[in-house]
Amino acid sequence: MSTTVARPAPSAGTRSAGPTQPLPVLAVDLVTDPSLLSGLAGLARGLEEAGAGALTLSDGGLHPIHVAAHLAPLTSELGLLPRTDAIYVEPFHLATQLMSLDHLSHGRAGWLLQAETDPAVPAAVGREVLGLEATAREAADVLTAVRAVWDSWAPDAVVRDTERGVYVDAARLQYADIEAETFSLRGPAITPRSPQGLLPVLVADTDRAAVGERTAAELADGRALDLDVSGGARTRQLAARIESAGPVRLVRLVGLDLEADPLGTVAQLAAALRSRALVAPAPVPRRTLRTRLGLPAAPFRPDPARRSDRARQIREESA
Amino acid sequence: MTTAHTQAPLSPEAAALATGPAAHPLHPAHAPTGQLAFGVFFQGVNSSTIWRLPASGDQVAWESFEALARTAERGRFAAFFLGEGLRLREHRGVPFELDVAGRPDAQTLLAALAGVTERIGLVATQNTTFNDPVDLARRLQTLDLLSGGRAGWNVVTTDNAWTGENFRRGGYLDHADRYVHAEAFVRVAEQFWRGEQIAHDGAHYAVRAHGDLPASAQGRPVLFQAGASPAGQDFAARTADVVFSPHGTLEAAVDFRRGIVERTLAAGRDPGSVKILPGAEIILAATEAEAAEKVRWVRDQQIGPEQALALLEQYWGRDLSAFDPDGPLPDVPPEVVESGVTRGAGFQFADAEQLTRTWREEAAEKGQSILEFARARAGARRGTFTGSYDTVADRLVEFARLGAIDGLNITPWLIPSGLDDIVDELVPRLQERGVYPAEYAGSTLRENLGLPVG
Ligand SMILES: Cc1cc2nc3c(=O)[nH]c(=O)nc-3n(C[C@H](O)[C@H](O)[C@H](O)COP(=O)(O)O)c2cc1C
Repeated sequence: MSTTVARPAPSAGTRSAGPTQPLPVLAVDLVTDPSLLSGLAGLARGLEEAGAGALTLSDGGLHPIHVAAHLAPLTSELGLLPRTDAIYVEPFHLATQLMSLDHLSHGRAGWLLQAETDPAVPAAVGREVLGLEATAREAADVLTAVRAVWDSWAPDAVVRDTERGVYVDAARLQYADIEAETFSLRGPAITPRSPQGLLPVLVADTDRAAVGERTAAELADGRALDLDVSGGARTRQLAARIESAGPVRLVRLVGLDLEADPLGTVAQLAAALRSRALVAPAPVPRRTLRTRLGLPAAPFRPDPARRSDRARQIREESA
Repeated sequence: MTTAHTQAPLSPEAAALATGPAAHPLHPAHAPTGQLAFGVFFQGVNSSTIWRLPASGDQVAWESFEALARTAERGRFAAFFLGEGLRLREHRGVPFELDVAGRPDAQTLLAALAGVTERIGLVATQNTTFNDPVDLARRLQTLDLLSGGRAGWNVVTTDNAWTGENFRRGGYLDHADRYVHAEAFVRVAEQFWRGEQIAHDGAHYAVRAHGDLPASAQGRPVLFQAGASPAGQDFAARTADVVFSPHGTLEAAVDFRRGIVERTLAAGRDPGSVKILPGAEIILAATEAEAAEKVRWVRDQQIGPEQALALLEQYWGRDLSAFDPDGPLPDVPPEVVESGVTRGAGFQFADAEQLTRTWREEAAEKGQSILEFARARAGARRGTFTGSYDTVADRLVEFARLGAIDGLNITPWLIPSGLDDIVDELVPRLQERGVYPAEYAGSTLRENLGLPVG
């Protein structure tokens, strides 16, 4: 893996992000409407060539995580961030699906954390609609739980020790052991640690209120600035929005007209915003999304209390 | 379509098992197609994939899945299956260290494979106890749409509270309710796929939703069922398109087919509407002698001294590390009677007392050590087709002609190259013998399994 850090922007003086935070990645939001199906692969490849640094996949019917996974082998550099609900899902499944996306995209996966407010969604899983405060508390709990699952295998847990016949070393695994208000979860993950270890978790402006301040401002890795381009994309206005936005990791074009000339629009916007040093350069190969977003590497954090070979330890102690 | 089953007399073994009229050797209501379809079962977590060899690849890397799926497609396999286990296997309170462990989420992976394959079916094993039906139905339909009608769902059930510790509802199902719940679950999914209004009030939860995705090219995902209990077979007969169960011998396969035909008729369905694809391990070589040698070598690689002791510990429920793997089976009684100490899919033992006594006697009679016993058992447990390319091809022709099975779900003992000899040597021989398709029948999984379309 590359160890180079993001190059500072040529004229960093005017931009709002702090000195250590690289320029935000330019993302395009695709709503996963089934009408997209036949052109999906071509569209993603085209957007990648046009200079998009990432795609966010918002739920329009097709499951956003699976659409992101589908696009992973069909693209090579795009970051892939499903915008998907934290509340009316099983945290264990969610964690597994997202870390699987990270495996098969070789470290290009992220999560745009959403907290569902549409009452149809809890009804579909047989749950009551949560109030705003309860939703925010649960979003925080789910993010904490999901990260604990992601962090349950050391990167070198699969030892494949042919001499001893040991495939995985239990001492390099740990339980998640989450006891939250509305759920509990034991772990460890059923999937080995993914390339990024911890996926970048961002909150889009659209979702900030529902997700709650604690998750958006403290627990998540950063903010995605939403730029609505459904009424047309005027560079000067968009540039002004980015400049006044404060620190953001992702600049996200929402409402792109897919009927008109989406690739042309994105190519033109990417070039214009890059020439003003407002968004990061086009992605370079083999960099994880974390790196591109300016997030530090996420080393395994072993926690002695959660070691999964503790039964053995206890046995040894009591022997 | 070739009709190989009418061309030549059956072998004495097969003839002895065939009791129906000649055209319908097993059951008057069942007309064998004489054709076989292959699937490949990438198990992930398991004890039969050899990971110690230099040729063994990464069991989680995208490249391994892609390579295996491409080989299977080259061999005109109908389906690519992924297994599922929702809690990391444990052995005596610690994650099990000796076998392949860890795998990606099945559907997430299959959604990616849908983009790099064209014809092969993509089947996800997914549990009905620890999923929500509308969520799962939406994900499966997404896969079906992304793949152009190639999705399948291997419906499995589990009730154990141990797995439930990873889920909101916990372990809330009684064992007897597994299939009752599974059936209600599948009905909700079917309503979703048909775009209907769903108002389900079950014993465990109420669901209100509306199917809002278009139908795929095959209408809905193909339903597989894996589980051999009578309740499981009834569930399959009422609900599934394909049964995927373990039985290695021709006799066992014939019995199973008769049972499924009877249950399918009792459920008011055409017996041809439920296909049978048992799981199988295939070990091949150019000659019989080489194949026999290779089987021994594969078993040695699969089961070392550590694995042999761990296998017995599952049933004895206690630490057996003091016993010599080259010595006789432990002469101590088991500690756990109700369930094994290894926790994970498929490990549930009723009477350890009785079982361990039988095994001790059996091994003593045959003069087997712990290691020899474990290796022999590993072979016997699986549906195993071993031998020269031609012998195995001829044997499979017999299964096909008799109508005992509709194909095999092949578990490779090596990842990712474990299908190479099957695709290069066995498939062409089956094609020459007229029991295996030269080309894909269509673009959907349903078509390629010979299931009724529409
Ligand atoms: C060939 C085969 C493959 C199976 N694969 C899985 C699997 O991947 N995950 C799982 O949870 N159960 C799996 N099972 C277990 C069954 O779904 C089922 O839970 C088990 O056989 C017990 O059910 P029964 O009582 O109906 O036999 C498999 C079973 C068979 C026969």
